[in-house]
Amino acid sequence: MIWLIKFAMCTMMPRTPALPGIADTDLDGFLRKLKKESDRIYWFGLVLGALVFAITPLITVGVPLPAFWLPRGLLDRHAERLVAHPIYMLRQAAALVRLSAGMCWGADSAVRARFNLPPYGPDPGTFRTS
Amino acid sequence: MSHTAFQLPGPRVEQEADYVVIGSGAGGATAAVTLARGGMRVAIIEAGPWRDPNDYPQSVYGAMRDMLDAWGSNLTRGRAFWPIVQGSLVGGSTVINSAIAVRTPGDIFEQWERDHGVGGPAMADAIWRIQDQLEHELNVEEVPEVALGRSNRLARKGADAVGYDNHYMLRYVKSCRGAGQCLQGCRSDRKQSLNRNFIPEVLTRGGSVVSCAPVARILVEGRRAVGVTGRFRHPQTKKRGAEFVVRAKKGVLVAASVTRSPLLLARSGVKNRAIGKGFRAHPGAPVFGSYDEPVDMNTGATQGWASIAHREKPGFKLESLSLPLDMIAGRVAGSGELLMERLVEFRHLAMWVQACRAETVGEVRSALNGQPAVHYTLSRDDMVRFREGIYTVAATHAAAGARAILPTIYGMPYKLLPNEIHKLKEAPLDPRAYISILSHLFGGCVMGKDPERSVCDGRGRVHGYEGLHIADASAIPTNLGVNPQHTIMALARYWAEGILGAG
Repeated sequence: MIWLIKFAMCTMMPRTPALPGIADTDLDGFLRKLKKESDRIYWFGLVLGALVFAITPLITVGVPLPAFWLPRGLLDRHAERLVAHPIYMLRQAAALVRLSAGMCWGADSAVRARFNLPPYGPDPGTFRTS
Repeated sequence: MSHTAFQLPGPRVEQEADYVVIGSGAGGATAAVTLARGGMRVAIIEAGPWRDPNDYPQSVYGAMRDMLDAWGSNLTRGRAFWPIVQGSLVGGSTVINSAIAVRTPGDIFEQWERDHGVGGPAMADAIWRIQDQLEHELNVEEVPEVALGRSNRLARKGADAVGYDNHYMLRYVKSCRGAGQCLQGCRSDRKQSLNRNFIPEVLTRGGSVVSCAPVARILVEGRRAVGVTGRFRHPQTKKRGAEFVVRAKKGVLVAASVTRSPLLLARSGVKNRAIGKGFRAHPGAPVFGSYDEPVDMNTGATQGWASIAHREKPGFKLESLSLPLDMIAGRVAGSGELLMERLVEFRHLAMWVQACRAETVGEVRSALNGQPAVHYTLSRDDMVRFREGIYTVAATHAAAGARAILPTIYGMPYKLLPNEIHKLKEAPLDPRAYISILSHLFGGCVMGKDPERSVCDGRGRVHGYEGLHIADASAIPTNLGVNPQHTIMALARYWAEGILGAG
């Protein structure tokens, strides 16, 4: 399922002339970590969101194809319309994917440098053991 | 006594104390230190781990993983799914909030007395006396000039221009440097979160802390609370560890949070019809302003400006709140190339929020998996307040010189020019059109005189039980309309003093 999430995230946050896209960050590493560490409900919601993203082009752009078969321009329109869709559940499903993508993208050192922000150090994940 | 963290499966861990305090947030830690200062041996039992500033994460991902209850994935169940944000670590939400100190307004005590038979002038005097102490102990001070940052200054300028009372915040922060990382825990160690002061003091006074230890149930013998039991849970793997039992010679104080205290009482067989009832919150929503010059909102205090000028009528408060880039990227409307175009102006954005003093009452129930399920849908009247709050924030941005206002409301344009913000007065009243967060929670074990309508009395004593007390915001029966931490801490000390006084 990771490829499906990755596909949705890369579509939602593509590289543009002004900014790096999420594909320019360590997205694979981020998703591996997220799958391993996240709350089960959170991960389930993310998979569901990616699935919704893949199967809804008929609803958003009127094309009966899964999102990964759409040409680039249509795919971008699909991504844009899904997060602003009148059906609340659809936009909520997409919102979780976008939120997670934002966490990966916005923590990347190169992205942060574009905004004059210092790089993040590690998230140690440590705690008192005694 | 000492700190005991996660223990692998094996022999049962057993301890004994005079009082067991479940939860180590604003309420639990304050009650615990008060009892410890009164000569009691106190054991604090906390579901999350104990993290020090060197352990704090830097990214939003790390904060969700290491500090939030259930990754922040607890959502309201109702017309809209709004996240409920609570800390889950030693110190509770005091580690991840902005440490805002606002005194309990006098009208609150009148309302509690009128509607719930508790409170009144005597409680008001006691709470304000305690708030004096807390301000001294935890170094409450106004955000210093050096830590203000441009976003907070712009908010002040805008509010002054609109013409309503506003101020730079008083916070439990000593010599803030304006690192802009309150929400991930203050690695500069300036914020006086309670894992840095009250909880260590409990240890030095002979108490103990048991962390990574979610309490499964309170041990009740007859009508008397005599301890707690549960199993350790590893903070990362979530694997279960050894069983623990902590016996209480004198009593148990429940401060597990608004969503978890009611469930714990119910799970422990405490009989009371009001358990889980009376849930309230301050639902908040952001409005961005886009400015000609860079704002760099992550420079300066995360929250440094506020106004309670609209608290009584129509009923909302306003605050600055600077979110990190890795959170904003998921909050700005749009997707695909459009989203990336919009993110280009991140440095020029300032984000301020309205938090609605909602009158809607919800309920905390147990979901099938045993986790809290908060049933809550904002009423139409509250949505009108909510919308008016958003309009006021937009007007403040306009007055501060924003070139555009970004309301982030479904069904509204992405950007409004300053002369177009009147359109917000017609914004949808459907909660599903808004991206809101519930961060200030109240109720679920509300205090009151009538045992049929309340869980505990005005001293936090659970009706019909001995040695069982509430010591967190779940006892607060109404919305406050101001940041609640100062009230929660003062109430917890007030209740703990009552316990000591009753001897």
